Amino acid sequence: MEMNKRERLLAAGIDLDSALERMMGNEALLERFLNRFLDDPNYGMLAAAVESGDAEGALTASHTLKGVCGNLSMQRLFDLLTRQVAALRAGDFAAAREMMPQISQAYAEVTDAIRG
Amino acid sequence: MYSDTILIIDDDLFNRGILDNLFSPYYAVEEAENGRVGLDKILASPEHYCAILLDVVMPEMDGLEVLRRLNDLGYLERLPVFLITAEAVESTMREAYRLGVMDVISKPIIPYVVLRRVNSVVELFRARKRLGAVVQQQHSQLLDQAQKIIELNQGMLEALSAAIEFRNGESGEHVRRIHDITKFLLTHTPLGEGLSEEDIESISLAAVMHDVGKIAIPDAILNKPGKLTPEEYEVMKTHTIQGEHLLEKIPQLKDHRTYRYACDIARHHHERWDGRGYPDGLKGEEISIWAQIVSLADVYDALSCKRVYKDAFPREKVLQMIRDGECGVFNPALLEYFFSVEGELSKLYDHGEKKSDEKGDKTISEGK
Repeated sequence: MEMNKRERLLAAGIDLDSALERMMGNEALLERFLNRFLDDPNYGMLAAAVESGDAEGALTASHTLKGVCGNLSMQRLFDLLTRQVAALRAGDFAAAREMMPQISQAYAEVTDAIRG
Repeated sequence: MYSDTILIIDDDLFNRGILDNLFSPYYAVEEAENGRVGLDKILASPEHYCAILLDVVMPEMDGLEVLRRLNDLGYLERLPVFLITAEAVESTMREAYRLGVMDVISKPIIPYVVLRRVNSVVELFRARKRLGAVVQQQHSQLLDQAQKIIELNQGMLEALSAAIEFRNGESGEHVRRIHDITKFLLTHTPLGEGLSEEDIESISLAAVMHDVGKIAIPDAILNKPGKLTPEEYEVMKTHTIQGEHLLEKIPQLKDHRTYRYACDIARHHHERWDGRGYPDGLKGEEISIWAQIVSLADVYDALSCKRVYKDAFPREKVLQMIRDGECGVFNPALLEYFFSVEGELSKLYDHGEKKSDEKGDKTISEGK
C-alpha cells in the first residue's frame, strides 16, 4: 500500500494495523474489502430510513454497517454507529437522527480516503 | 478420516471473507449467506463439517433458530457450533448456551483468539471421536471374552459332572442328555413359562450337576451289579445331600446364576410328587419345577439306556413304565407336557436296539 494512501486512511480514522491483523496480514484482501466498502448499500439505506422516519429499517442498516466498519477497523465511524444502534435499540429515534450529520461526515471522510 | 471442513454462516460478505481468509490455510472452508442455506448444507451431510461458525442476526433464518434446530436433532453432541456476534448481550448468550452452543465469540473478531478457540475444540471433538471408537472396540472385545469365559465355565462344569458319571460306567452322554431334555421341555412346553432365556440356560446347566454327590458314594455300592441292601440304599440316597454340600464348597459357583438351581436340583431330584421321595419328603408343588423336570428326565434316560444293573428298555416299555408310575410318581401336568414332546426326545436314543449309551452323536432337533 502506497504511503500517501496509508496516511489518508489513518487520518480518516481507520486503524490499519488492526484491520490488517484481522486479515492475517493479507494486504490485498484488505484493499479489496476497502474498495468493496464503497459499494456497500447500507449507508444509503440508513440515510433513507432516517429521512423517512423508518426506525426499524434504520436499526437494521445501522447495525449492519456497524459490523462492516468494525471488521475494517473504521474506528471513528464504528464508534458513532455503536452509539446510534444503542439509541435505536433504546427507542430514541430523535437522538439517532441527530447523529446523522456526524455519521455522514465520518462516512464521507472514509470513502474519500479510499477513493484517493 | 476426520472431516476438516468449516462452514461459515453469515449474511455479511466481509465477515465471511475475513473468516475464510483466517481458516483457509488450515481447513477447507464453505460459506452460506443465511441461516436457512447453512442449515440445509448441514442437514445434507452432517458428518462433512468439523465446526460451524454462526452469525446471529441474519435474514431468512437467524443464528439462534439454526442452533435450535441442530439441538433438536441432537447434532450438537458431535458438531461444535461457534456463535459469532456483534451483540454479545446476556440474553442472547444465555439462550445460545442453553441450546448447546460451544462458544460465543464477539465481533469484530480477534483472529488468533478465534483460531485458537476453534482449533482446540475441533481437536477435542476429534479426540473424543477417536476414543469413542476405541472404547466401542474394547467393549466388544470384552463381550467376546466374557462369552468365552461363560463357555469355558460351562465346559468345566460339564467335564466335572461327566467325570463323576464315568465312575459308574456311564459315558458323559447321560449328563449331556439331561441338559438337552431339561432345556427342550422348558423351551418347547408351557413348563418354561415365566422363565427368561437366561434362567433356562442356567437351569439346564444346573441339571448337568444333579448327580455330583455320587462322587462321595463308595464304588462297591455305586457299581454293584445286583440289588442294593437297605443299608446300601441308604448310603446311595445320600448322594443328593452330598451333591448339594459339594456345590456349596465351590466358592466361584456361588456368584453364578446357576448356583441356586444346581443346589436345589442336586438335593431334590429324587423327591416324589406324592411326598414319598428323599431326602426331604417334599410333596407336590413344594418341589421346584426344575427339580421335577430333572427327576423325570433322569428316570426317562435311565430306562432308555443300558445301565450296570439293567439293559435298555424299548421305547413303548419306557413310556408305559413312566405312565404306570413304576419308577416314581410325577406331577400329572409335567407328564402331560412330557408325553406331548416325547417323540422329539426319543430321537436321542436307539430305542429297542439294546445298545449301550456310548454313542454320543444324537441330538434333538431345535425346531420350535
